[in-house]
Amino acid sequence: MIVAPETLDLSGVPCPANAARALLRLEGMDPGSLLRIIVDDGEPVLNVPPALEQEGHALLSKEPDAGRWVLLLRRG
Amino acid sequence: METNIDNGMARDIYLDNAATTRPDPAVLAAMARADSDCYANASTVHRMGVAAGRLIERARASVAAALGAELPEVVFTSGGTEANNLALKGAAAALADRGDHLIISAVEHPSVSRVAQALACRGLRLSIAPVDREGVVDPAAVRSLLTGRTILVSVMHANNETGAIQPLHEIAMLCRAQGALFHTDACQSFTRRPLDTRGLPADLVTVDAHKLHGPKGVGALYVRRGLRLTPLLDGGGQENGLRSGTYNTAGITGFGEAVALAMRTDAAAITTLRDRFEARLAAAIPDVRINGPVGNRLGTISSVTLPRPDAKTLLHSLSRQGIYLSAGSACAAGRTEPSQVLLAMGLAPEAALRTVRVSLSRFTTEQEVDAAADALARAVREVGG
Repeated sequence: MIVAPETLDLSGVPCPANAARALLRLEGMDPGSLLRIIVDDGEPVLNVPPALEQEGHALLSKEPDAGRWVLLLRRG
Repeated sequence: METNIDNGMARDIYLDNAATTRPDPAVLAAMARADSDCYANASTVHRMGVAAGRLIERARASVAAALGAELPEVVFTSGGTEANNLALKGAAAALADRGDHLIISAVEHPSVSRVAQALACRGLRLSIAPVDREGVVDPAAVRSLLTGRTILVSVMHANNETGAIQPLHEIAMLCRAQGALFHTDACQSFTRRPLDTRGLPADLVTVDAHKLHGPKGVGALYVRRGLRLTPLLDGGGQENGLRSGTYNTAGITGFGEAVALAMRTDAAAITTLRDRFEARLAAAIPDVRINGPVGNRLGTISSVTLPRPDAKTLLHSLSRQGIYLSAGSACAAGRTEPSQVLLAMGLAPEAALRTVRVSLSRFTTEQEVDAAADALARAVREVGG
């Protein structure tokens, strides 16, 4: 069964609180599970992916979406 | 000197928990880890900064969960006083175009009442909602004071001297109907009485850490989403611009830990101890008066008016025995004026000066409340009369 990933909307959340909240959510998930994260354009999309990858999570995709970005992460 | 000393170890009986509480060892441990391992500035985006930010956000989630709030609605401050200042001054400045009138209750903590008085000195109109003999605000009195120019109404959740619980929901509904903001100072009641912002139409709620076994110097203001406030501090723009300043990572971490622990505390057990204290004291001194509403008081506070002597004499007598309580609110300590809260409840000034506050915590024991009741009874008998 394919389960749609959870979504964490971090629109409007400044750096680094956005990365911190994403890490907390990922830490509460099972290893290997997927999380879709929405971040703002600009600093957030530049800062959040490396912050999550540094902690062992995998960035699977990064797509623009109406002025924001949708990141797909796999929990490490 | 008679003290509670056992094998060289002081056994202080601390019953001044409404003033501040003993930090929980788990809180201190979490703070020490934060200070040693996550000392980077929590506003920076490198790995160490994110690690510190993670602690801030975890604490925010803890506080938000206890308030039934969304994460962005929790604004960390340096404590309850700052949060109250931000609520009143911030609303008054942001909404100056909408009105010029404030209402507070007659039993507010000085961090609300003096702020309101300061705003009144700057031209705002201030109305005081009276309380009854049990220290409770009548919502009808608030209704009669509300006008189309009222910016904000501030009524505390639980009084810091008597523990009286105020009818917040009714007052908040009146404010909403009139278009005024409603603020409540919930420093005493936070985690001890339900205060779910999803059910209570409050716009601003003040909470702090040190009343619930957390550190001093940390608090938060719940700010309902979409509400406009003018910040007290400008600077780096932390907390959505409402509270600039480098994050107190250890303190905020301790706050979050303290809230999580407090939410698991058995409040009924503390109330049982409080009732035991009052029953024992009343049995020994029949003409003692318990202040506050009988059935709707915070279980951690007992305000008792004794037949004699004056509270300061009692305070020092018990202090010499290693028993620590208060003659009023902590912020009023050191002054000999009668409590404004008790006067507002109709107590005569001389009765207010014979009133002590005993306040309990989850660390309080039966032996401690028994010892305090016995010591108070002894002190009253020694003075004679």
